[in-house]
Amino acid sequence: MVKYGLFLGCNISFNRPDVEVAMRSIFPALGIELDDLVGQSCCPTWGTMPSIDVVGWCAVAARNLALGEEKGIDLMTACNSCYGSLNEARHKMLTNPEIHRKVNEILATIGKKYEGKAKCRHVAWVLYKDVGLEKIKESIKYTLDGITVAVQPGCHFLWPSNIYPDKEEDPFNPVVLRKLCEALGAEAPYYSKLIDCCGMGALRSTDPEKSFILVKEKMECIKEEIDADLIVTTCSSCLIQLDDAQERLRKEGKLNFSIPVLHYVQLLAICMGFDPEKVAGICVTPRDEIIKRILENKR
Amino acid sequence: MAEEEPRIGVYICHCGENIAGAVNIEEVKKFVETLPNVVVVRDYLFMCSDPGQELIKQDIREGKINRVVVAACTPRTHEPIFRRALEDAGLNKYYFEMANIRDQCSWAHWHEKEKATEKAKQIIASAVAKARLLEPLEDRYVDVTQKVLVIGGGIAGIFAALDIANAGYKVYLVERNPSIGGNMAKLDKTFPTNDCSACILTPLMVDVANHPNIELITYAEVEAVEGTVGNFKVKVRKKQTWVDWDKCTGCGACTNVCPPKARVPDEFNEGLSKRGAIYIQFPQAVPKKAVIDADACIKCSGRWFGEPPRTTKDGKPILAPCEKVCPTGACSRDEPRNPEGELIELNVGAIIVATGYKVMDKKHFKEFAPDSPNVITAMQMERLISATGPTEGKLIVPSDIPKYEQWKKKVAKGEQVELDARKPHRIVYVSCVGSRDERYHTYCSRICCMYMLKQAMLLKEKYPDLDIYIFFIDVRTPGKDFDEYYMRCRQMGIKVIKGKVGGVQRLPDERLLVRGYDAEIGKPVELIADLVVLATAVEPSEGTVELARKLGINVGAEGFLKERHTKLYPVDTMSEGIFIAGCAQGPKDIPDSVAQAKAAAASAMSLIAPGKMKVEPLVSEVDKEKCSGCGICVPLCPYGAITMVNYNGKPRAEINSALCKGCGVCAAACPSKAIKLHGFTFEQVLAQVRTLAKRGVVEVL
Amino acid sequence: MEMMEEGVPPVLNLSKLAEREETELEKRVAEIIKELGAERIMYCMQCGACASICPLARVGFEWYNKKLIKALILGLKDELLDDPTPWACVACNRCTEVCPRNVSPFEVMFAMRRLMAEEYAIGTLAIEGLRALYEYGHAVYMAGREARKKVGLPEKPPTTDSDPKALEDLRKILKQTKLADLGLVPME
Repeated sequence: MVKYGLFLGCNISFNRPDVEVAMRSIFPALGIELDDLVGQSCCPTWGTMPSIDVVGWCAVAARNLALGEEKGIDLMTACNSCYGSLNEARHKMLTNPEIHRKVNEILATIGKKYEGKAKCRHVAWVLYKDVGLEKIKESIKYTLDGITVAVQPGCHFLWPSNIYPDKEEDPFNPVVLRKLCEALGAEAPYYSKLIDCCGMGALRSTDPEKSFILVKEKMECIKEEIDADLIVTTCSSCLIQLDDAQERLRKEGKLNFSIPVLHYVQLLAICMGFDPEKVAGICVTPRDEIIKRILENKR
Repeated sequence: MAEEEPRIGVYICHCGENIAGAVNIEEVKKFVETLPNVVVVRDYLFMCSDPGQELIKQDIREGKINRVVVAACTPRTHEPIFRRALEDAGLNKYYFEMANIRDQCSWAHWHEKEKATEKAKQIIASAVAKARLLEPLEDRYVDVTQKVLVIGGGIAGIFAALDIANAGYKVYLVERNPSIGGNMAKLDKTFPTNDCSACILTPLMVDVANHPNIELITYAEVEAVEGTVGNFKVKVRKKQTWVDWDKCTGCGACTNVCPPKARVPDEFNEGLSKRGAIYIQFPQAVPKKAVIDADACIKCSGRWFGEPPRTTKDGKPILAPCEKVCPTGACSRDEPRNPEGELIELNVGAIIVATGYKVMDKKHFKEFAPDSPNVITAMQMERLISATGPTEGKLIVPSDIPKYEQWKKKVAKGEQVELDARKPHRIVYVSCVGSRDERYHTYCSRICCMYMLKQAMLLKEKYPDLDIYIFFIDVRTPGKDFDEYYMRCRQMGIKVIKGKVGGVQRLPDERLLVRGYDAEIGKPVELIADLVVLATAVEPSEGTVELARKLGINVGAEGFLKERHTKLYPVDTMSEGIFIAGCAQGPKDIPDSVAQAKAAAASAMSLIAPGKMKVEPLVSEVDKEKCSGCGICVPLCPYGAITMVNYNGKPRAEINSALCKGCGVCAAACPSKAIKLHGFTFEQVLAQVRTLAKRGVVEVL
Repeated sequence: MEMMEEGVPPVLNLSKLAEREETELEKRVAEIIKELGAERIMYCMQCGACASICPLARVGFEWYNKKLIKALILGLKDELLDDPTPWACVACNRCTEVCPRNVSPFEVMFAMRRLMAEEYAIGTLAIEGLRALYEYGHAVYMAGREARKKVGLPEKPPTTDSDPKALEDLRKILKQTKLADLGLVPME
């Protein structure tokens, strides 16, 4: 069995642990062994060490990556921010020997080192490449027949394309998440604001009102162009933002419809028959309707 | 052999500050005065100037010296100047040696003045050591072939050919497409006069076809080049047409019957429409003849190339539709397929390369939604608005071109239908797509700013309701009448925005969401457009590098043909006798291409007009008495100048001095030391080496 | 120095900015930014492609990528310390993807953050995140015990939250970084 270190990230660990349950359920069932990567910390996220200094950022990231490297395994994560931060740091270390040297000097003081071999992949790529669409199709008990999905790959899934171990052929017209949803039986059409940023993270902490402008634009585009029943994302930050901001917009009278939001691993877990309460129980925009519809579509 | 003792004059140039700034001229002078056979030592600010040269000539005329060493800059530029000075004064010009104490000394060691001075002394000493052994040589003359080959039948090639032909010389114009005209034939109008491109081009094309001195060889490519300046032997491969051009009248009947399955994207319409396997390149083609594209042909009626046709029960041959419909019987599949085509050989004295350009395909630029049919390159736009284009000049969104083609079919059948295709209302131009871009080409493609303005002006004149936006990074309109043209465009209401477009997204009705930036106001902007036109980068034509290798000329890092000197020799190459012109040398507009074509023609003519060419005597010669006939030298010569001949019943090597370039490989390799490279003999070179090894001591042997 | 009033003045006095770089800073602001990680800032030709698709620019922040780069090249520094734009950057890197000069405007935004951190022009939320990183190993730390219990997971995730040795390791690392030099969070 292929083994990956499961890198959780802060948001999934504390705010959306249902995503964690989803991952712990689907991967063993699909033939991917998970290592807890005990001792992992914040990736470090953009607002912390990357905002202070490059070597410090790379050192914290390298400690996390080394947890996998010392076991001879790669990491995988369901959080785009972690995916971005860890890969940017790795790229800096691999292309700048000075930084790499300084990082290993720091790591030596805790008895570790990071050579650069272990990388951090994204759970969506692991599902797409390692598991494969065929196997996913065979593993599901329920399908999304008749359901239209609006995909949200999220910015860090796509850009900057040169630092990631897996790359979309066209980073401005991504197809991997669409294909993953189609493997579940859904329609996952293109919509013109598919690659637009959701506004989560630092934008939201600095000025929530401004970040909701982006959510509103996105939601309206989805409604107008493809009238989706469900939004599926590969990013825990997009998940929280789109799930939560919708409610705020509705309260302010700026949005008069509702589209539930799920992380792809959650959706897959539901289709594979795992308990929706456990794998998708935490949300702000209600999901009961869509989950009910899915569970009516026996394969 | 010199009868008298060498009396060497050494002239040290200050070269302004260039040499004197690092080298202590006085100290060097004192040293040089001590060298053997040196009788005169002078220094001067600029030796190459009139007074500088006069110093040398005076000393020669007064009989003081019979050898000259000039210690100055590079022989590459100045050797001919000083040799001429010797000749004027009556001394054999090959009694001259140049010591480069600028490029190879003062410039290289500018900050180490003591060491630079020491080095200058040693360089001059080695030149003196050689000068002692110089021999008088005589220039030779070879006949030149008074014909010129022009490769490329675009506007540059056409003008080059016409100028040379009008002067009375024979020109071969080789073009790889079936017709001449190049990219200019694809244009609708040309800036800044807005002349109809075909109107100004076709008379020239017809002139070329009718000119008694021009032999037009189209649908052909240069295969190999041998020989040297004045006497090139060029192999040209003519591609198979399966249409007898002597019989073909260009009526076009064959093109109408080629079935849909055999239709491929039409290169002339930049892929916006299809052409058949048998096709005439465009309506004003010169020569207007059909060709069969064998790769696209589906061999109707089982008509394979080179095989006799199948027959009916009555023994009548079953021919392909194109063969049947041809009124003159020009079209025939009888010839078997031969990828070699027909090889012909041309003898010319000079070659002009004018192979032109192409524009980058939109598919590379993923951020601009290249999958959308309504995102097109500017060249595609040019075809769209042309009267000979895919919609005969009707402005409709490219996504509706299929609707147009269906409408045409119905009209041809006599149906009275209206064309139901969407006209674009809002058009966006994006500049610098692939140009000024570290990811693709760092150069500026030069013509895009003007052609975007041109297309916008033409469209706005014809359809005043159109809303046109041009997103520039900078507006570059430097030519004659160009800035006035730009101002007129602004006055017409064409919206000029300085700021690059960062993203284009497809919308459901094949419109496009454009995300740009207005750097003048300082805000992101967005709009919904019906059509987005990308000004993609200009690149050299397909196959330029391969052709350059065949010709033995250089290509720059960015892919364009390399000129000899950026400032002073823009149409020459490092290979004598081969000239370049037009966009093959770098992106430029039509007036600049024509100017270069005429310049190249003039240079080619000045080469062939005298009928003879002076050749330096610095070539290799075999002493047949010493030669052992081993033959090692023959395959070593890069110019094929050496053959074995019969000398008193024995095989001995002989060098054709017309082909020899004086590289010296044979002389170095000859085990019998039977080959002498005049001007760089063993004795001379060894004397230089010994002098340098002894740090400036000239041995007197 | 007169430029030290709030924010960027309506007219930029370029000679005063240049003098400040020559005498006070003894190096160009662009050099400082280069050293903080934005090596290719000087390659920018101000085309605006990055700004056309930047989420910050689209929602109304002022000193987004293109404008910040130009401001820094001209020598503005202190005048920009009050502006929250760099702290709002989501690091989406769409700018990096479309830049024709490989400048990576994202790097410039973050180099600016690092500069602002040096000047303590850093908001409370960022400081909170850093403090949480040091204390718990998690920047986002809401005691989400209830949520975890609800879905049947152990209260603490297998992170520094439940592994004291790992937390010690992380703290040891952080003590050797600029975070310690700047003294932004208490590190006992």
